[in-house]
Amino acid sequence: MRLSKLSVAVLLAAMIFLFSSGIGYAAETADPSGMGLSPIAFFFVFVAICTAIGVIAVLGGVGGGVVFTPLMMGFTPINSFIIRATGLVVALAGSLIAARPFLRRGLANVKMLFFAALPYTIFAVVGALLAGYVETSAGDFGEALIRLILGFLVIFIAGLILFGGKKVEYPEVKKVDGFTQRLGLAMSYWEQSMDKVVHYKVRRAPLGTFLFCACGIVSGMFGVGAGWAMVPVFNLAMLAPLKVAAASSKVLIGIGDSGAVWPYIMRGGVFPLFAVACIVGVVIGTSIGARLMFTVKAQLIRWIVILVMIGAGVKLVIDGFNKL
Amino acid sequence: MEKGKASEVPGGGIVYGETAYSKEKAPEVPIAGVIYGEIAYWIALLGILISIVGIAIYMKSGGYADKTCLLNQLWGGASVDAIWKGCAGVSKAPEGHWYLSKLSYGDGIAMLGIAVTCSAAVFGMWGGLFGVLRSKWGMYIVLALIVAIILTMSVAGLIVIKE
Repeated sequence: MRLSKLSVAVLLAAMIFLFSSGIGYAAETADPSGMGLSPIAFFFVFVAICTAIGVIAVLGGVGGGVVFTPLMMGFTPINSFIIRATGLVVALAGSLIAARPFLRRGLANVKMLFFAALPYTIFAVVGALLAGYVETSAGDFGEALIRLILGFLVIFIAGLILFGGKKVEYPEVKKVDGFTQRLGLAMSYWEQSMDKVVHYKVRRAPLGTFLFCACGIVSGMFGVGAGWAMVPVFNLAMLAPLKVAAASSKVLIGIGDSGAVWPYIMRGGVFPLFAVACIVGVVIGTSIGARLMFTVKAQLIRWIVILVMIGAGVKLVIDGFNKL
Repeated sequence: MEKGKASEVPGGGIVYGETAYSKEKAPEVPIAGVIYGEIAYWIALLGILISIVGIAIYMKSGGYADKTCLLNQLWGGASVDAIWKGCAGVSKAPEGHWYLSKLSYGDGIAMLGIAVTCSAAVFGMWGGLFGVLRSKWGMYIVLALIVAIILTMSVAGLIVIKE
């Protein structure tokens, strides 16, 4: 099955409509003392919203959390610590469900995963602890700072994907450095769309290690999956093919964020009424998106990610300045 | 094209008659990844199912934290401590695996499901480590072991946010 650009655009438009109408419905029915929805209505509204988020996120090769957290922080009044905690749970759940087909097809590079998991996990945990420190100690200033930094980061990475890469779908690796060579990260996978095996090498593993540390901090602190940052690290810095980068980052989110989410849970920041609705929605959306991913062209995926990230990033920057 | 005659086609395949065959076989998929993926997937799914059952009970018969109060506080932008204080009648947010002592409540069961989901990668990593050992991937055994230990420490509550 190969979907046309038109059908994917229609699907995307429907998802965005679902998201905006869900938030709109929630906002319209809110009363001054609360949301104005019954708990069960709230649950289903957020299932619908998060289904839309799940589809968009997985098509972009990023975790649900990276779309969920900026959108929720930008467009709902819910406390940002709770959103970031839930964002990690959402990213995690979406990643764990989506990881299976990527690993069974060999699309995710397992050696690259275990190599990147160490710096990413350690620094995701550090980021979660920093988030807890800001929540308990820095007050409104900390909240404004988190929104500003997250907003600028989202816009920066969108710009990086937009302007930073040529031949990103299948980057050409001319020379592999000694360290990366010794790691033996070169692998191959079956590319269904071309009906052939793609053999690929990667390079710059030391730079990748450093960048995965930064991705971990961002992920743990801001409650985002960081697939948005890890796809460029795998693809632009280490020169892995785009689909391998997207699949590997998706699986890596599940590993690293498992370490980061527990400090949030132990702090009481995850509320089942909100979190379960978001998990269920993102998992449904991720399942739909994962099926579409093998048939959608990588170029189109990039544009979906870029648009979503710029929109949410701008809103967060505005919110951050308003709160300063 | 003449039927029955083999011809090269772009992309490395061969067209023979009316049927297309690929020149290359799909490469072998690393077992460590497959083990990780299967374990993580099924445990995550189990956790999600538990959390859905818990939420259904929560909706029907209430829970440890009052759901209407929780919703109003959430949408009002209240802090974690304020929500727990206002809706569960405790002085501050519970710490650690609070849900284990609240499994008679729907939200306790739902939180258990979330916890199971969030532990899926930990079990997956230990399984993946077994796969790496089988594949004898030298250095990757050490890397997988360290990651598995960090994740286990995090789940066990040894890494916590202190006020």
